[in-house]
Amino acid sequence: MAEENGFKGLERLVHHVRHAEFGDAAGLSGGNLVVSEEELQALLRSPALASTRLSWARPGESVRIIKILDSMEPRTKGPGGAGIFPGFLGPATAQGEGVTHVLKGAAVVVAGKLPRAQEGMVQMSGPTAELSFLGSTNNLVIEFAPAEGASWTQVDEALRLGAMRVAVALAELALDIRPDGVEKLAALDPRSDSDLPRVGTIINLQTQGAFKDVFVYGRTMANSLPTAIDPNELDDGAVVSGQYGHPALKNPTFVHQNNPVVAALRERNGRNLTFGGVILSPEPVDQTLKELTSAHAARLARQLGLDAAIVTKEGGGNADSDISLKVDALESMGLVGIGIFAEMSGPEGLGPPLVAPPTTATAMVSTGNYDERITLDAVDNALGGEVVDLNGLDAKAEMTLPVAAVYGSLSPIGWGRLTCATEAPA
Amino acid sequence: MRIVHYVNQFFAGVGGEDKAGIGPEVREAPTGPSRKLASLLGAEHQIVATVFCGDDYAASKEGATDEIVELLRNTGAEMLIAGPAFTSGRYGIVCGRVAKAAKEAGLVALAAMHAENPGVAEAAPAPVVGTGLTAREMGTTLDRVAKAALKMAAGEALTADDGLVGGIPRLNRLVDANAASRAVDLALARLAGDRQATEIPMPDFGAVSPAGPIADPSQALVALLTEGGLVPAGNPGRLESARSTKWLRYPLEELPGLEEGSHVSVHGGFSTIFANADPNRILPLDVARELEDEGAIGNLYAEYFVTVGNGTSVANGARYGVEWAAELRKAGVQAAILTST
Repeated sequence: MAEENGFKGLERLVHHVRHAEFGDAAGLSGGNLVVSEEELQALLRSPALASTRLSWARPGESVRIIKILDSMEPRTKGPGGAGIFPGFLGPATAQGEGVTHVLKGAAVVVAGKLPRAQEGMVQMSGPTAELSFLGSTNNLVIEFAPAEGASWTQVDEALRLGAMRVAVALAELALDIRPDGVEKLAALDPRSDSDLPRVGTIINLQTQGAFKDVFVYGRTMANSLPTAIDPNELDDGAVVSGQYGHPALKNPTFVHQNNPVVAALRERNGRNLTFGGVILSPEPVDQTLKELTSAHAARLARQLGLDAAIVTKEGGGNADSDISLKVDALESMGLVGIGIFAEMSGPEGLGPPLVAPPTTATAMVSTGNYDERITLDAVDNALGGEVVDLNGLDAKAEMTLPVAAVYGSLSPIGWGRLTCATEAPA
Repeated sequence: MRIVHYVNQFFAGVGGEDKAGIGPEVREAPTGPSRKLASLLGAEHQIVATVFCGDDYAASKEGATDEIVELLRNTGAEMLIAGPAFTSGRYGIVCGRVAKAAKEAGLVALAAMHAENPGVAEAAPAPVVGTGLTAREMGTTLDRVAKAALKMAAGEALTADDGLVGGIPRLNRLVDANAASRAVDLALARLAGDRQATEIPMPDFGAVSPAGPIADPSQALVALLTEGGLVPAGNPGRLESARSTKWLRYPLEELPGLEEGSHVSVHGGFSTIFANADPNRILPLDVARELEDEGAIGNLYAEYFVTVGNGTSVANGARYGVEWAAELRKAGVQAAILTST
């Protein structure tokens, strides 16, 4: 359909979801999403899972979701996915063209315990709901019990594939529906002769082994050199998160599908810049490899003809150095490098904000102080578990904890609106 | 105003490192720099006492701050001045803690030390006035402290013009544009030649000069330290897996090495499977014992110190460093091996 018009790129067919519920008459109508719990349960069946439970957590409800692992936006390119989540639901063939149906306002969320996972939570109502992208979506929450004898890796894989199937099944309900909006996303043109500055992004992906890994076309990015892709490939699920550490500093599949820096570059493309490219990079744990990867990413940026790159990260202080090495490498080649960092300046906000700052590329954006305390109001219901492991409190209780425990709140890929500023003492 | 001055054992004229272990005491007549400070504060104010304590005792003994604050309150003072501690870490941390506790107890409180002293982070909500590096700058420093104290006594808040350091917190707030959009704007600004624009000032960690080599390792008492979260099985001290707020000590005496199951790492920043299979990978007790047996080092210190370096604030990290150094110095340790993960 897209190519018939001579258009090279991806058309996003956006369907808004304003309310979601279980029911027998599955469908999407007037923003009301009705899904069959039984049909979705069948998609989650796996020898690695003893049982699964599905629940809706909707905006404005007195609900907290704890132990959130991954989350994804319901999308499909046709029946059965038709290419969405390449390398997982289908072969690892290049995506980012044709059409993709998007259910805006809905998310599929996996919550529960896996090894190495750190407690991350979302409040669906009250003033803290807006700190997470899941605070304003209708969330289909998948809870689970592992099957006896299944390895944790098998459980993880079963949950990832199951959640993807559920996400596709939700989006399939929109296949025959007129979308609320059509967004035409042209593939990037490497030969653009515009005089505008070429700006792109380098997306660092955390690659620290099982449960702290990120996949590109279904394969771990660990041990790869940085690579360039078209931003539209992200829309079709080319990057999938299997990274369960650092709740506030992780980039779930949902934000890769909706990469905020890509969105900001698209928005300005042709106005005050030319969107010049997207580079994916692993975050090695070894200093020598961090240096190699950073130098290579900067060379790739130069080969794409970029004048500037926004560098994003995933993870804590160690990952700061993956940004710092890259922005410094960019600046040493005469490119502008901008890092997006969360600050780690202690509960009072008085300590040095960064662990591993850049030396020359000193233009940085702050996504807020990780250590500052916030209070979550008590709620009527909780999903994901009975007890918050971080503090041993009942999952429904009022609690004060570092903002770092709120899922996605300090998004180092630029989703959030938090920042830090100084205030004169009273 | 009735003012009490806190100093360490050195500035109280009691002694140097040999007296760092003494507990808190009161002198009702101003002692040491308190006399100069008293003259600078003028006739309207009176230094009613000098309270002092040994740096090791004050920095590392549990409850020491409470003991000191109890003495301050017993003097009937309305205001506390702590320091100047210059760049002395233990003294600075104690000045910060005492000023914080005094302020919380209702006194007007002020600490003085160098801007990079880890004690600056301990003082909030009490203000800290910055000083020079060493006591050679005592004269100008006391002038500044006295002016700041007079201003506070008059009920006014200090500003950067008064030498206020560290006490300006960076606080979270929501803005209209998301971080991605702001990053693109910042890129365009920098491309247009603005080299100053940033949302995050460059942090200043200060600099730590490494100690010189020890003359004879075969005679040295050597300590093992780690930020790798290695604790006895069951984590009796409840060390946090991330964003640690404390450090703990555990015995090594009579242990030839560490065994699988006896100790585990609770560090949340890496996979602990290999660490737990052989805890010596985090705390190298096995090879350290070999070196001890060979005579390559004198003796291993009988305890190890442990924390978790995973999202831990620099302020806490700096505090652990000062506290560890004080503990080790007190124990006569000449060298320490700190493993990082």
